[in-house]
Amino acid sequence: MNPVLETAERNEPFGNLEPEAIDKTWRDERGLKGWLSVTTHQAIGKRYIVTAFMFLLLGGLEALLMRLQLSSPENTFLGPGRYNQLFTVHGTTMMFLFAVPVMEGMGVYFVPLMLGTRNVAFPRLNAFGYWMYLAGGLLFYGAALTNTAPDAGWFAYPPLSGPQYSPGKGVDVWAQMITFTEISALCVAVELIATILRMRAPGMSLNRMPLFCWGMLVQSFMVLFAMPAVMVASTVMLLNDRTIGTHFVNPAEGGDPLLYQHIFWFFGHPEVYIIFIPALGMVSAIMEGSTRRGVFGYPAVVLSLVANAFVAFGLWVHHMFATGLPQIGEAYFTAASMMIAITSGVIIFCWIATLWTGRIHLTAALHFVFGFIVIFVLGGMTGVMLASVPLNLQAHDSYFVVGHFHYVLIGGALFPLFGAFHYWFPKFTGRMIDERLGKIAFWILFFGFNLTFFPMHIVGLNGMTRRIYTYPEIVGWQNMNLLATAGAFTILLGGIVFIANVLTSRKSGAPAGNDPWEAGTLEWATSSPPANYNFVHLPFINSRYPLWAGKADRGFVTGMRSDRREVLVTSVLDAEPHHRYVLPGSTIWPFVTAAGLSVGLVGSIFAFSGYFVASALGMIGVIGWFWPREPLEMKP
Amino acid sequence: MVLAARTPGDEAVTTPRVLDVSGLPAYDISSRSPLWLGQLLMCLIEGSLFLILIAMYFYLRLSVDVWPPPGVQLPNLILPTLALIPLIASCAGSYLASEAAKMNDRRGMLVGMALNLVLAIVFLVLRTVEWYGLNFTWKADVHGSIVWSILFLHTYDVVADLIMTTVLVVLVASGRYGEKQRLGVHVDSVLWYFLVAIWLPLYAVVYWGSHVVGAPQ
Repeated sequence: MNPVLETAERNEPFGNLEPEAIDKTWRDERGLKGWLSVTTHQAIGKRYIVTAFMFLLLGGLEALLMRLQLSSPENTFLGPGRYNQLFTVHGTTMMFLFAVPVMEGMGVYFVPLMLGTRNVAFPRLNAFGYWMYLAGGLLFYGAALTNTAPDAGWFAYPPLSGPQYSPGKGVDVWAQMITFTEISALCVAVELIATILRMRAPGMSLNRMPLFCWGMLVQSFMVLFAMPAVMVASTVMLLNDRTIGTHFVNPAEGGDPLLYQHIFWFFGHPEVYIIFIPALGMVSAIMEGSTRRGVFGYPAVVLSLVANAFVAFGLWVHHMFATGLPQIGEAYFTAASMMIAITSGVIIFCWIATLWTGRIHLTAALHFVFGFIVIFVLGGMTGVMLASVPLNLQAHDSYFVVGHFHYVLIGGALFPLFGAFHYWFPKFTGRMIDERLGKIAFWILFFGFNLTFFPMHIVGLNGMTRRIYTYPEIVGWQNMNLLATAGAFTILLGGIVFIANVLTSRKSGAPAGNDPWEAGTLEWATSSPPANYNFVHLPFINSRYPLWAGKADRGFVTGMRSDRREVLVTSVLDAEPHHRYVLPGSTIWPFVTAAGLSVGLVGSIFAFSGYFVASALGMIGVIGWFWPREPLEMKP
Repeated sequence: MVLAARTPGDEAVTTPRVLDVSGLPAYDISSRSPLWLGQLLMCLIEGSLFLILIAMYFYLRLSVDVWPPPGVQLPNLILPTLALIPLIASCAGSYLASEAAKMNDRRGMLVGMALNLVLAIVFLVLRTVEWYGLNFTWKADVHGSIVWSILFLHTYDVVADLIMTTVLVVLVASGRYGEKQRLGVHVDSVLWYFLVAIWLPLYAVVYWGSHVVGAPQ
């Protein structure tokens, strides 16, 4: 055995040779231009996550304002117009500017690490996607702060959102903000699929891939098929009707507002799973790290994830049961909506078996997982109830629905996300997050969450409809609403504890080392935080949990060049090495392209010619982006 | 290159701890490249977009009795059908260029891309003539809106791809190219095949739709 390798083995499980040269190759430039040119997946992932958390805070503050308004009957704290703007901006922020981008950010950060490669397949596209997302968020909040906030709800149903009933630019800004965030989501989806299918560590056949990567793969395919639908709904139909006089949602000229609902929910329902499926992957990762065993029934979990994605595209009409569709259609969608409980149930049972047979290490992250299971199962129950047409018609547009979807969205996505944040915090920062504060934050959030949203089910069944800005005293909804408002402020308190914990642990937490949880997947095989190139030597594996396997069952790749950004391309199913591939260097062009496109797309809110400006500037940016740099030939 | 044997019950098999990949090629101009896969995924995105538009066409058709609406002339079928000939033929140019890119045949790439461009421009000229022949705009009624949306979005994509191809022609002609740009030429053909293939159902819907599923007033 080579003595050099033996020594290296002690420091890093996958070898530790000549890091200086490779560091020089993968380092980003300093200064403002360097900052704008970054294409490292870790940096971009962190930017996504931090930006998304900022929007979570804004969306949360909007929710608090609404809860204040509803805390007592006939309250005059907010007027009806302002209230409409608040619930629209709150919903839009949470769906488009927080939930999807934060999941994409986690994927961008962790997928290359878990796969054992150096970056995503298209690093510049990754940077471009982030800048588009940021531009969309700035456009939306820029408009909101200059009093042009949309006020037609986060799904902007026509005719209310049409030219006749929503004059002003608010809905136009909403529609074009969707374009920005969807471009960003599509960029991430494309690059993650290519990374997952082509850049896994040698030996990581698909059936050895970590479940979080499976979740991101399934989610990315859903993004490919769902996001074009919302772009058709928001720009081709709604925005063009409003700005250039097409008639898609205008019944007087043959258009149909119901068609908008179909197209929107063909995106909107999969959207829920686009948020939820990465969360399932996170929960699986946390469980593996906290029980020191692989998730029970790995093939069943993977197949359920895939099945969920398929069924999710056949559910959209259950958002439209009150629109008077044919009964046979409603029956089909009821059956499909109930079917998804089966696949979700399989996953839940696999997790229970994992916990049952594992050695549980009750971390703060695992607390959030338990909270997730409780809340999500409750939300799933009301989901099965709402899938039934008669109950749905009664509860339609009531606070029962508001309670239900906050249970599935916060329970299904936010709790796993917070858990994942605690679990992976050492990897992000190199320091442990304070476990005690983490558990305190969890209990406050769990209590506050149920206090806020459980009463909504009851007040909804008592007849309170969503989106009303106030109610008379005589209906008797006061106490439940007051409880919900108290709960909302409890959530705020939990959020403050969480943020304080993050800020202090970042500076003064205990040093984490590579693998504080003794977990089995590859992101723990490198330093915390990882260097720009992730691994000095690319890992080479032979089992699902390489760090739990014996030394004989893992190894590392040699023969990669360290003087250019080389990654290894492997085959789709078995991850056998096929060729080396040189990733492009860092450059400012993705930023320039995103800036040019953004200027044009903002212009398109005012005149259709803005699209031509966007195309011209975007094309210039793309040509700069692809313009060949020396050296042209890539000799091995 | 052989990895560890993946025979059943291979837990006990020890594997080489070092995998030397220095012998692998540094580039691959084929469908095994990540870029090729990325281009295919972009085509899937655009494909979903166009399929949604087709679904919308039939949904809108079914919600009215008269289609196309009164005053709209049935489109002329001859010109759009003739235009398919240069369009489909242009794929041959793309194919030539993409095969030449694999073999680093500069002349082949230039000839292929030029053939692609010329035939595509002939197609675009015919498309423009057809377009001027329509006696309605997107503002007329919802039939106009959907037909114009399909025509506009497809034409937009075609023009964008032709600009990209032109840039590649400039790079190859000026000699400013290496493996990366050859891979670009190869992958560019994927997008072109897609744009041609997706036009066939779109053509059928836009031009034959009102003939076949229409109903006069």
